[in-house]
Amino acid sequence: MCGIAGILFKGDHRNLTTGQALINMLDGCQHRGPDSTGFALYRDANEDELRLRFLVGHGAEAEQSVESIKGKLAEYGADIISEEAIGATYCFVVRYDGDVQKFSYAMENVAKLVSIGESLDIIKDIGGAHDVDDIYDVHSFNGSHGIGHVRLATESDVKPESAHPFWATGFADVSIVHNGQITNYWKMRRRLEKRGFEFHTDNDSELVAVYLAEKLKQGATLKEALKGSIDDLDGTFSFLVSTKDEIGYAKDRLAAKPMVKFEDDDIIAIASEEVSLNKLFPGMALNTMEPPPGTYETWHR
Amino acid sequence: MAQIDLGAISVTEANKLIRQYGEAGEDVDILNPDARHHIGVGLTHPITARVHGSAGYFCAGLTDGPKFVIENNVGWGLADNMLSGSVVVHGNAGAIAGVAIRGAEVVVHGNMGSRAGQVMKEGTLCCRGNANFMAGYMMYGGRIIILGDSGDKVGEDVTGGSIYVAGKIQSLGSDAKVFDLPSDELDSIMEFLDRYEIPFKGTFQKIQNSGKGLRYSKIEPRVRNIPFYTFSGESDYWNQKVQEDIHVKAQIGRYRIRGYGAARPLPHLGDIAFRKDLTSAGSDSGVLDRVNLATEVGGKNGADPLKLSMPLLIAPMSYGALSKSTKVALATASRLSGIAENTGEGGMSDEQREEADQLVYQCLSGRLGWNIHDMQRANGLEIYISQGAKPGLGGQLMAKKVTKEIARIRGIPEGIDLRSPSRHPDVLGADDLVIKVEEFREATGYTIPVSVKLGAGRVRDDIKIAMKDGFDYVQLDGLQGSTGAAGNEVLEYVGIPTISAIQEALDALAEIDCSGQLQIILMGGVKDGVDAAKAIALGADAVAVGTGAIIAGGCIACMQCHVGTCVVGIATQDPEHEKRYNTAVEARNMHRYFESIRWQMAAIADAHGYTDIQQLGRGDLVALTPEVAEITGLPYEPGYRNTQPVAAE
Repeated sequence: MCGIAGILFKGDHRNLTTGQALINMLDGCQHRGPDSTGFALYRDANEDELRLRFLVGHGAEAEQSVESIKGKLAEYGADIISEEAIGATYCFVVRYDGDVQKFSYAMENVAKLVSIGESLDIIKDIGGAHDVDDIYDVHSFNGSHGIGHVRLATESDVKPESAHPFWATGFADVSIVHNGQITNYWKMRRRLEKRGFEFHTDNDSELVAVYLAEKLKQGATLKEALKGSIDDLDGTFSFLVSTKDEIGYAKDRLAAKPMVKFEDDDIIAIASEEVSLNKLFPGMALNTMEPPPGTYETWHR
Repeated sequence: MAQIDLGAISVTEANKLIRQYGEAGEDVDILNPDARHHIGVGLTHPITARVHGSAGYFCAGLTDGPKFVIENNVGWGLADNMLSGSVVVHGNAGAIAGVAIRGAEVVVHGNMGSRAGQVMKEGTLCCRGNANFMAGYMMYGGRIIILGDSGDKVGEDVTGGSIYVAGKIQSLGSDAKVFDLPSDELDSIMEFLDRYEIPFKGTFQKIQNSGKGLRYSKIEPRVRNIPFYTFSGESDYWNQKVQEDIHVKAQIGRYRIRGYGAARPLPHLGDIAFRKDLTSAGSDSGVLDRVNLATEVGGKNGADPLKLSMPLLIAPMSYGALSKSTKVALATASRLSGIAENTGEGGMSDEQREEADQLVYQCLSGRLGWNIHDMQRANGLEIYISQGAKPGLGGQLMAKKVTKEIARIRGIPEGIDLRSPSRHPDVLGADDLVIKVEEFREATGYTIPVSVKLGAGRVRDDIKIAMKDGFDYVQLDGLQGSTGAAGNEVLEYVGIPTISAIQEALDALAEIDCSGQLQIILMGGVKDGVDAAKAIALGADAVAVGTGAIIAGGCIACMQCHVGTCVVGIATQDPEHEKRYNTAVEARNMHRYFESIRWQMAAIADAHGYTDIQQLGRGDLVALTPEVAEITGLPYEPGYRNTQPVAAE
């Protein structure tokens, strides 16, 4: 129930910031999802530094939340390098070199953790692409790549925490935007839960993210993980996945959900509809293509 | 030549201009299209429109006569339902290119996405590149010419028409078979390619239906009729009806098809009572003057609403399942009572249009009988997602009823057992549905309400989608609703009861803070004005009656609607049987039945001291059974069981 978009700049040549490019693309398909908008943005990573973004709300509730997060960070020996409150979120950059999975599960249990990563930062809130940009200054972001999502809420509420993208709970730097519905959700989730993975929503996009992250952890390449997802996941889906260095897509065998891609020497851009791609190049006739059913592909930055 | 710059004006404004140029006979250049949706939708004049760039979804959709040239790519649903004229795309086309075309010529110079030509009826879809997954899916007629490779499962569930592939056939769909290519068909293809200046040397493989799946292999034996009131018998177990079902299945080896709806006892409106003592209700002949029943439906987004003299509509029933005489009688009765009639699946007849003052035109997955001209002369447009008798499944129309005339209006081969698709080609989620609704609005200038018909299954989610996708109202159909033909087990066990459906719908709207913002017309076993008043008190805005109207108009409830030899001339297309139907008399009977509903609604509202039917509320109701109390949240008051009066008349 949504629209998706992703962009990767292959080099430094660009006429838009990464943030602005995603804003334009998501604005172009806002009709597919007017309720909330989200961005997964990837910066250049600093060794041993982790960025954590939490949804804390406002006022006294936020203050209390931030206090308990700080307590937990101290407990895990994570040193705060910087911190910032913006919109309904609070962002910490910390120095931490322990086990990220345990750390992030512990953090999830003190507050609503939106993303964690050396490079990843997820920004999502209710409203359209421009509304979210007005609060979070997305347009000034200019990292190498990012993915984004517009949501039409049907099965859960219109709240920032149920907006997309989702990160792979427990795995740094893996995020996903997904259009469609995974029909063997519970079967796959139980399989992963038995192996000790935690889920913090009932959303099938979180499942796709954790599924892929687990494959990556086992040593698979992103391409291999995507290939596996087409075999293992049932239902209708077109999704984009991003890691620190790569973006990729997978599309189900029934081709029930749209996806169009454009690639030239400077960028690879993928979106639910061509109208989003044209937002990057107004007035131009683009040489685009619709990925065939049951296919996947990845691009390295 | 006129120019329209989509960089400067909206598609809606552009379409208005394109139609004006169409009337003036002037060709149009469309600049800066940037893959926007709905370009050229609703155009019915033979002008040439050239799109300088890419177009989005439904380019040239719902049109008749124009020539479109698109210089680059197009999105999903190219030339949707186009009746005549041509579209030439110089780039690639997204999924379902040429969906449901009925005579147009569509040429794609690049590749086509999945399911090209789905449910097309007539015309030519030609692709110079490769087709993709399931080209020709459920096509009923016309031809697809593919100069490249076919893609997987080409001709999946093809019914009629031909697919010609010059490249490789990657795999055949079920029911599809390769046939020899007759030379006259090759000549005709070459003539087409010449006309569109497409150079080609070589030959084609021809794919058609294998001829095995168009009819059920064994016909159901005729059995003596078990009257409706003993239909489920005394017991849920080995009663007369269950035994009969097993006997029939023992002969045909598959599910059984019948008409009507669920016959087993289910929680229903009869399990609710009014708290107020209604003994005196209806004793005063002046109630109709004292209670306002007039109701407007569908105006929330600025379209011209249906103006109903009371909160009652006729439920959608198809011309095909029912005879033309019956549809005309329903239309007449709707006019006499000042309410609205609905075409159901399978198109609009001129006679029906003339008789009904207010007519809702229904669009189903097979796009049977769907076209721009009838859209523009309708008073409401309705997207059918499913119905209460068979949520999630398409309709069935047995061969006996698929006569020449029915096949013509629907655009399908004559004499097949028609099984309509269970889902729309272009609606695979709430996100696609938004774009579909917008297409209808573009085609009709935002003046006609667009509603959705939902069968009660996953009501909570469906209603939220209906609200968010901007529908003007919802027709919500519970398990007690009937149908002309469906599998017996489906009728009895798939949906959820009408009373659960309305409750889930109201809860869903409350959950998203939209209570009162989406009008709901409840149907499925509503039989009189008492049921109607209870439904409205529960929270419905209006009700619709289908089975009740048919019974008022002469139906004897034998449940053999699917057979096609209806003895009273209602559920038949056989002229000998239809002769038995006295249209004028039955129209009067239906009208009187509707008037009895009016009287009862007014009497009940009046007895409560209300001057408007919509003043009835949940506080006026009690539940007579623990089940209905649990479903609705109404207080359980078994003491009312024996005291519930029914309004007189």
